[in-house]
Amino acid sequence: MSNDKTPKYRQEIQQMMFVSGETAEPAVDTTTLIEEIVRQQVVEILARSTALATRRGVRSISTDDLIFLIRHDKAKVSRLKTFLSWKDVRKNVKDSDDKGGADAADFAGADDPIAGGVAGPQDMAAKPKNKRARVGLAWDVNSFYSVQVPERDDEEDEEEEEQNYATLQRLAAADERTKHMTKEEYVFWSECRQASFTYRKSKRFREWAGFGIVTESKPNDDIVDILGFLTFEIVQTLTEEALKVKEREDREKNRRGGADNGESVKKRKRETGLFDPPEEGRTPVEPRHIREAYRKLQATPNKNIAMLLHNGRLPARMPLRLI
Amino acid sequence: MSLGHHHTWMPPGHLRPPDDQSDFRGVNGYTKYFTGSKTPQMRASADADGPPHGAGLISDADMTAEEDPRISKFRDLYKNSEAKINNLFANQRIADDSVRAPPGDPEPSGAKDQRADGPASPPPPPKKPARKLDDDDYDDYDDDDDDEAPSPPKPKAPVREPSAAVQSPSRGHTGSISGAANGTKPTQKETVEDIRKKLAEDKKATEESAKRSFHTLFYTLENDRDAMLDQQRLEESERQVEAEMSSQANAGNNANAGGNGYGSLSSANLGASSLTLKNLIARIDMKRTMVQASDAELRTLMSEVRKNRSKWASEDKIGQEELYESADKVLSELKAMTEHSTAFLTRVNKRDAPDYYTIIKHPMDLGTMTKKLKALVYKSKQEFVDDLFLIWSNCFKYNTNPEHFLRKHAVCMKRESEKLVPLIPDIVIRDRAEVEAEERRLQLADIDGGEESDDEPIMSSRGRKAPGKSASKKGTAPARTSSGGSEPPAGSSSQPPPPVRSDSDVAMEGVQNGFATPPPPGTQTPSDPVGAGAGVSASQGDSMEIDGIIPAANIAPSALSAPGVELEDPEYKVWKQVTQKDRAVIAAERHRLFKGDKLKPDEPALLRTKAGMRRWMRNQKDISAEGDKARESASQIMEQDAAGETLAEGIEVDEDRVVPDYYDVMSAIPDLPGNLLWREDANGNIIDASEEFLRVLPKGVFTQPESKLSRKMDANMRQMQETRKICSKVGIVKQMQLQSQMYQNQFQKYNPEPFVEQDIPAHVMNDEGPVVSPWVCKAALQRSVAKIFYHTGFEEYQPSALDAVADIAADFFQKIGETLKSYMESPKVPVGDEVENTSAAFQWKRPYTEPEIVLHTLSSVGVDIESLETYIKDDVERLGSKLSTVHDRLRSLLSELLRPALTDAGEDGSNAFNDGSEQFVGGDFAEDIDEDFFGFKELGLDKEFGLATLSVPLHLLQNRMFTAAQSQNTSSTQTVTIFPSPAPYPRITAETVFSQIGLAQQFFSNKLQANNNEPLVEDLELPPKQRPMAARPRLPASGRIPPPSGLQGPSSSPQKRPPPPNAFPGGAKSGPSEPSKKKAKKNSGSAGAPGSGGDGDEATTGVDGNKDANSTLETGKKETSTEDASAAPSNDIPNAKGGVDPSSGAENDASAFDQVKDNDSAVRLTNGTEGDAS
Repeated sequence: MSNDKTPKYRQEIQQMMFVSGETAEPAVDTTTLIEEIVRQQVVEILARSTALATRRGVRSISTDDLIFLIRHDKAKVSRLKTFLSWKDVRKNVKDSDDKGGADAADFAGADDPIAGGVAGPQDMAAKPKNKRARVGLAWDVNSFYSVQVPERDDEEDEEEEEQNYATLQRLAAADERTKHMTKEEYVFWSECRQASFTYRKSKRFREWAGFGIVTESKPNDDIVDILGFLTFEIVQTLTEEALKVKEREDREKNRRGGADNGESVKKRKRETGLFDPPEEGRTPVEPRHIREAYRKLQATPNKNIAMLLHNGRLPARMPLRLI
Repeated sequence: MSLGHHHTWMPPGHLRPPDDQSDFRGVNGYTKYFTGSKTPQMRASADADGPPHGAGLISDADMTAEEDPRISKFRDLYKNSEAKINNLFANQRIADDSVRAPPGDPEPSGAKDQRADGPASPPPPPKKPARKLDDDDYDDYDDDDDDEAPSPPKPKAPVREPSAAVQSPSRGHTGSISGAANGTKPTQKETVEDIRKKLAEDKKATEESAKRSFHTLFYTLENDRDAMLDQQRLEESERQVEAEMSSQANAGNNANAGGNGYGSLSSANLGASSLTLKNLIARIDMKRTMVQASDAELRTLMSEVRKNRSKWASEDKIGQEELYESADKVLSELKAMTEHSTAFLTRVNKRDAPDYYTIIKHPMDLGTMTKKLKALVYKSKQEFVDDLFLIWSNCFKYNTNPEHFLRKHAVCMKRESEKLVPLIPDIVIRDRAEVEAEERRLQLADIDGGEESDDEPIMSSRGRKAPGKSASKKGTAPARTSSGGSEPPAGSSSQPPPPVRSDSDVAMEGVQNGFATPPPPGTQTPSDPVGAGAGVSASQGDSMEIDGIIPAANIAPSALSAPGVELEDPEYKVWKQVTQKDRAVIAAERHRLFKGDKLKPDEPALLRTKAGMRRWMRNQKDISAEGDKARESASQIMEQDAAGETLAEGIEVDEDRVVPDYYDVMSAIPDLPGNLLWREDANGNIIDASEEFLRVLPKGVFTQPESKLSRKMDANMRQMQETRKICSKVGIVKQMQLQSQMYQNQFQKYNPEPFVEQDIPAHVMNDEGPVVSPWVCKAALQRSVAKIFYHTGFEEYQPSALDAVADIAADFFQKIGETLKSYMESPKVPVGDEVENTSAAFQWKRPYTEPEIVLHTLSSVGVDIESLETYIKDDVERLGSKLSTVHDRLRSLLSELLRPALTDAGEDGSNAFNDGSEQFVGGDFAEDIDEDFFGFKELGLDKEFGLATLSVPLHLLQNRMFTAAQSQNTSSTQTVTIFPSPAPYPRITAETVFSQIGLAQQFFSNKLQANNNEPLVEDLELPPKQRPMAARPRLPASGRIPPPSGLQGPSSSPQKRPPPPNAFPGGAKSGPSEPSKKKAKKNSGSAGAPGSGGDGDEATTGVDGNKDANSTLETGKKETSTEDASAAPSNDIPNAKGGVDPSSGAENDASAFDQVKDNDSAVRLTNGTEGDAS
């Protein structure tokens, strides 16, 4: 287990934060804090999906369990679906490259046998080589009927497009950021983009997340990949939120500082000047920002306690919210 | 009495001659006062009757033993008078009767006059004439006898009395005045008596006024509990006294019983009902002549009888009854003032006040006084009063602190007792023997001619008794004594009875008085209102009333206003005092029902009583009368009511409660709401007011309101149903591909009806507002939830799930409602800003507008408009488009599946016969006769082909589908049946049953019996549909039937392969082609040519099998069993499986996996059946 306090993902987290908009170099304790939060989230995800799987009468987690956990965040689900389908494509392409066009069915069959029943479409989707498979969900319309609904390619998924809106926004922002980058900078950027908790370090990840303790079975690569995707999302969300917090704090400081002493105001003003290089002179996100961001993300929405209105008592501890 | 009174009047009209008969009657009337109602019939019957007479005789005899000397004397006198009466008035009786009526006339007027100035004059005077009148009227019959009786011995009496009796109204006044002005002694007596009476009336008046005011005021129940507790304490203390006394009393009683045994007897007889007594006396009076007993005897007899009216009455103690009765009254009155009396009810406890008895040497309390009273310790009023005031003085002495609360109570009690004490007659109890001796002496003196009995000390001391005595003695010679002691006119009031009664000699008088009060005057009123008697009684009643009312008018205010010491509202105080007991009783009744704060289930219910209802009715009438009529008319009504109620009154003895109606909720009828009243129009038809308040519940209260959203949702659901129809068709087609033979009705038609929300039947309500019907509402909510379920994609759901979700939804909506309510009810805020406070009157407005309320509520339950919109957009609209997409896809899938069958048959279907189907030859093809053999037309498959009629018989279609599927999925690994299946077991018949094992014999014989001794057919020989144990396959938990292998073949993984082939070989009995089908399924993974050659064979055999199965199962079985012998690897179990297979396939959807599973379960089941069968 990873009870030892040594951070394992400092580099990755830094890179992810950079991608998410944090330009300065974050302190070690910031990344450590983020890492702890992420690990807590991962453990929670695993525990819950294990519980879900148990409820289904299955011992091992399937991708559906994971998706189910984040089902309310449609944008995230959509991103995850995209991620999975592309991953599938990648894998198939690689496989076909490797085996020279062996029957795809065999590979599809190598899937998790139980998950195959539910996430059947996934298997089905892997037919043509370069075609992106569509990841179906158990609660989609297609599963309403006793007969498998055949796929058809001519219909475009408007829903997906809509759900990808947030992703596109992110991409646009990233594009904006990279527009004026030098080549070296861009290389660094793209390196950072590849940062992952899991990619090529699944063993470390397993240890870090406490696989085998939280879940009984050994999650397969799909799960790990999804978790890698989710961890990235978590770090990104946290960083963005923390940046917002920090920005607000700075603004607040500026206003008050202006009243206090003009000198610092000038200094600050120069710092946040329009033509100032954004990279330099910025203070990195501090742990307190992260904490505040985490608190905000953990705030219980009214919806979750609506049934406790009028004579209901708020439980002492609300369940952890997945970011 | 009146005689005595007249005597005092004498001076002015001294020499007045007797005017007419009535005068005489008036004089004599005393003894006959109680003759009861004087209707002619009554009299006649009384005349005819003998018994009273006999009774008189008996009593006579009784008396003789005791009072011989007097009796003999009286008897002599009586006889004398009798003789004289007979002589004088023998012929006057008739005249008497005729004249009887007139005398009443002047008298009432007099009474009225007096009434007019009643307030000014003391109460007694008005009474007096009434009394006199009574006398006048009641004695019509006996007058004659008695009239004569007095006259001879004392000539004076007739002279005087007539004058008095005839006195005009004015005379009455003068008389009273003169009476007052007369001798000092009488006046003094009078005043004392007056005070007493006045006080009594005061009290009554205050009560009366309080009672009257009950209607106008509402009182709260807050003091009821105190009242109840106080009352309980009082009762407790009384019980204690009772208990302490009982031992002594027992002893005393025993002694008494020994002393005068007959006393108790008479009391038992007569005390029970005063009515009987009254009648008895009336009869005795009527038959006076026949009664042998002297008046004195009768009187003693009556006194014996009367005695039990008061527990204090004593034969030996004169004055005791009177004194004790009033003292007892005072005492209980004081005790009943529970507000203040509680502390004085019992002896001071040493534990509470250790030094009490060192300070107080002579402790006293109300309880002790009661005890003393019961023990007959008191000899005079003075003793009693001394004791009473000792209590208060003790209290003052001990509680020296002027602020002490007990002092306050004591002050109140003292004031009250000061008020009450005058009510006690100032009597010193004396021994009877002593008194009698005196009396006798007096009588003798009288007879001797001494008229100056007035100065007789003893008599004067108890002057009140004198009038009664005089009256009673009128019939006899000593009547004059009465005239001597006639001073107190007071005897006529309601109070006098005790004084008179106290005189044992004048027992009759007592009786008379006793009657005068208890029977309500009303009894006589209705019987003959015109008659003189009636008039008098009425006047008496009137005068009584006047006494009650007029003084009340004067005194009540004073009584109310006098006690200024009380801090509280005097009226309220009166209310509290007057009603305390009743309130306590009612509160206690209620209290009994409770234990803690819970209702006691076993406690008997409170019931309304007749008396209570009567009281209520009376009060109602009273109120209504008061509303529109004058007071007089109201009182009249009341009187009449009283007349009507008297009978019932006797049935249920219930003291009149002095509480307003609303206190006694048990005895009242709530007012009817206006719309429920029974109204009639002018023609006597009932006006049906129901239209005014009944309303029919509008339609659609419990259904989904029509809206865009609901229409969309309905459309989505309809779409889903349509798609499901296609799915079922797809399933059928796929099943056809897999199954070599089919059965009629194998496929259930799936044709769901569109959902329609059923409204509740017409419902009539008689109120505004929503229907409060939890079950219907819940059902409606459940339906809505079910709709949403279906809309979300669940085809069916368990009721428990529906219940749970509906409950959660109800809970949630309740929360929303509560939140909404709290927002709506939040206090209003003043309109406008603080700066603009020009107008004094604030304008108030709601703090939130309605949209605000809704938005706040939504946000507090975690919903916002956006999310609602998103739901509609995503989960309804987009779902609709998705659904239609899926529908299209499934349609195309179905048409694709059907294509081989359509193409193969060619344009005109001529190719349909090329596959060697022999159904046409065999005549099995039923399509010619337009019979939908397999029911496919019904299933709607014909439409799928786009043909008006089926050009291809569907069973052929089935064949074609099957073969097409076969050709795609040919198996390379044929299962080889190595061993032939064994011959089937012989059927069990009645003959062969005994060859079975013993355990099973009974079972089989039972079966045989049930089968009419026909040979038993094994389950396996039956067509699959008819088998009892046909196991139906179940859907997996996901609710989705996995895709059949026929299509999914390429993607199915090796792990999912069905178990090894020999696990389910073809059934030998039902279908020969079964194994090949299985094989085809199993090897669906590879669709290749290698098995195609074999496919053709199998196809033909399949067709054969099909035909066989269709024609005769028996032959088919025989054939195929041999034919398939090589294909069946094992014996019993495979058979069973093969047999069951088709039945499981009979389900809509066929899939490889499911069949595998089903087979497994079927194996188990059929094994079971086989075990049974063999």
